[in-house]
Amino acid sequence: MATLIQTIVSGVLTGSLYAMIAVGLTIVFGVMRIINMAHGDMVMLGMFGAYWGYALWHLDPFVSALLWVPLMFVFGMGVQRLLLRKILPSGELNTLLYTAGLSLLIANLALFFWTGDYRTINLPYALAPARPFGISIPLPAAIAFAIAIVITAVLYLFLSRTDTGRAIRATAQNPDSAALMGVDVGRIDMITFGLGTALAGAAGVLLAPSLYLYPTVGEILVVKCFVIVVLGGLGSVPGAIAGGVLLGLVESLGAVYVSVPYKDTIGFVLFLLVLLFRPAGLFGVGRS
Amino acid sequence: MTKQILAAIGIGVLLAVPYVTANPFYQHLLIMVLFWTLLGAAWNLLGGFAGQVSFGHATFLGVGAYTTMLLYLKLGWSPWLGLILGGLTGALIALPIGLICFRLRGPYFSLATLAVAEIVRLVALNWESLTAGPTGLLITHLPALNWFGSPVNWESKLPFYYIAVALTLVAMGATWFISRSRLGAYLLAIREDMDSAEAAGIDTTRAKVIALAVSAFIAGLAGGFYGLYFRYIDPDAVFSISMSVEMVFIAVVGGIATTAGPIVGAVFLVTIAEIFRERFQVGHLIFYGLLMMIVIRYMPEGIWGRVRNWLPGAKARS
Repeated sequence: MATLIQTIVSGVLTGSLYAMIAVGLTIVFGVMRIINMAHGDMVMLGMFGAYWGYALWHLDPFVSALLWVPLMFVFGMGVQRLLLRKILPSGELNTLLYTAGLSLLIANLALFFWTGDYRTINLPYALAPARPFGISIPLPAAIAFAIAIVITAVLYLFLSRTDTGRAIRATAQNPDSAALMGVDVGRIDMITFGLGTALAGAAGVLLAPSLYLYPTVGEILVVKCFVIVVLGGLGSVPGAIAGGVLLGLVESLGAVYVSVPYKDTIGFVLFLLVLLFRPAGLFGVGRS
Repeated sequence: MTKQILAAIGIGVLLAVPYVTANPFYQHLLIMVLFWTLLGAAWNLLGGFAGQVSFGHATFLGVGAYTTMLLYLKLGWSPWLGLILGGLTGALIALPIGLICFRLRGPYFSLATLAVAEIVRLVALNWESLTAGPTGLLITHLPALNWFGSPVNWESKLPFYYIAVALTLVAMGATWFISRSRLGAYLLAIREDMDSAEAAGIDTTRAKVIALAVSAFIAGLAGGFYGLYFRYIDPDAVFSISMSVEMVFIAVVGGIATTAGPIVGAVFLVTIAEIFRERFQVGHLIFYGLLMMIVIRYMPEGIWGRVRNWLPGAKARS
């Protein structure tokens, strides 16, 4: 019983961060119809931001998020404005290939400048996990979880309550109608991509103390992210949150009750099954 | 006519090249260019002609490599027979994969192939009794072979060069043949508009599965060649996502749906990457990313697709 609770808790902790990355991917897809292959590399940039902040200036990663998240937002807007805008009209497959190119470019520039060494951030308070009710919770993961919830909640309020948020949702539903209603779709695209990138970067900063970081870590993260958004339904924010937590749980339960080596396989098999039989996602809210 | 002459000159240059340079680095470079041409051509059959962008072609490369290596190491079968069987095994497992993934379209197909490739990689990594897992497979020596009475020296790169030339010619011949066949016309119709193709009475799934099987056969051959040339494989080398992605880049940068595109793409990308790797060790794929972005933005028909239009006779054909 204790094992089960422990497994569920760690699954949810990881899942909350997966969810945050996936929300970024899914809003970009919803608004621009881009499947952003470079999304994982944005997470990687966030992780390295946290690493260098800690290594060079002794900034706690959770504090340096205040610096990196806005920077990633601006970076994302720049990428959209300067690189992606002209590609958008040429169709989903071209943008897929283009972002695959972008992904390789970012990852290899990182590899070139920062080498492929595995790095870690050793926070002094990470050594002894908190033990409420006999469950072991590593502190950095707990803090990351709390921040992820706050960020996701703020984002949710932003999307549902503010004018810009409404304009983003309107563009996701139908760009042409949104434009007719006076929404500056070009500007919304830019803001959305900035938001998506900032979410990925934030998740990277939050994950950095708990994972090994290396320049090509984005590759595996973006694949997991695809699994999540397809589970939850492409383009759906609540779906991405649920899918993220679900994948976290599946991986952690799979590792304990099925087998450690095959835990990632379960996610992919689930992904294929959903793609084939429920293309709108498990909750039927996405776009097939 | 121009193209036949170009092809003849190309083949002549390929056969003559080893007499020009004995530098092992250049010979290795040429072999790598041909190896990637092979993979680009394999991917191009499905991704270029039929417009089905696969991000999972490393599966077939890996299966081909493991088939060749395992048949030689465990059963002692000749690697040259194993090479072909590697291609056939690749084509065989392409059938179920195709039947599953072709139910999906566009980017969803791409994501599904990515997932399949990851599943296969994880299985190869963990099925240790068959694949030796992360340890990988190692060949210490290749069986002796006589070529017109003289023994072949497997320590030199030359025999591998000529094998690569032969395989590349097979792949390019297959591409050329398919592009002129009825199947080629079906594939183009599928790429342009799948629904119209179906309405016109084309069995689209059948056409796509055949294209995938041929494509997987070539990728499997390339895999077998990889194993024999490097004499070592492990799941993270041959089944990796980056393998799948790199062959997409070769084909797209060279020119999708063209016979010569993959070789042009491989000459550009592999040469730049290998020279960069020689000097800096890491980050040699920077140029892959950069060129991909430039090509998609400024010339979606690829380098060869663009150059081809300058050749005499291009206007009359199109």
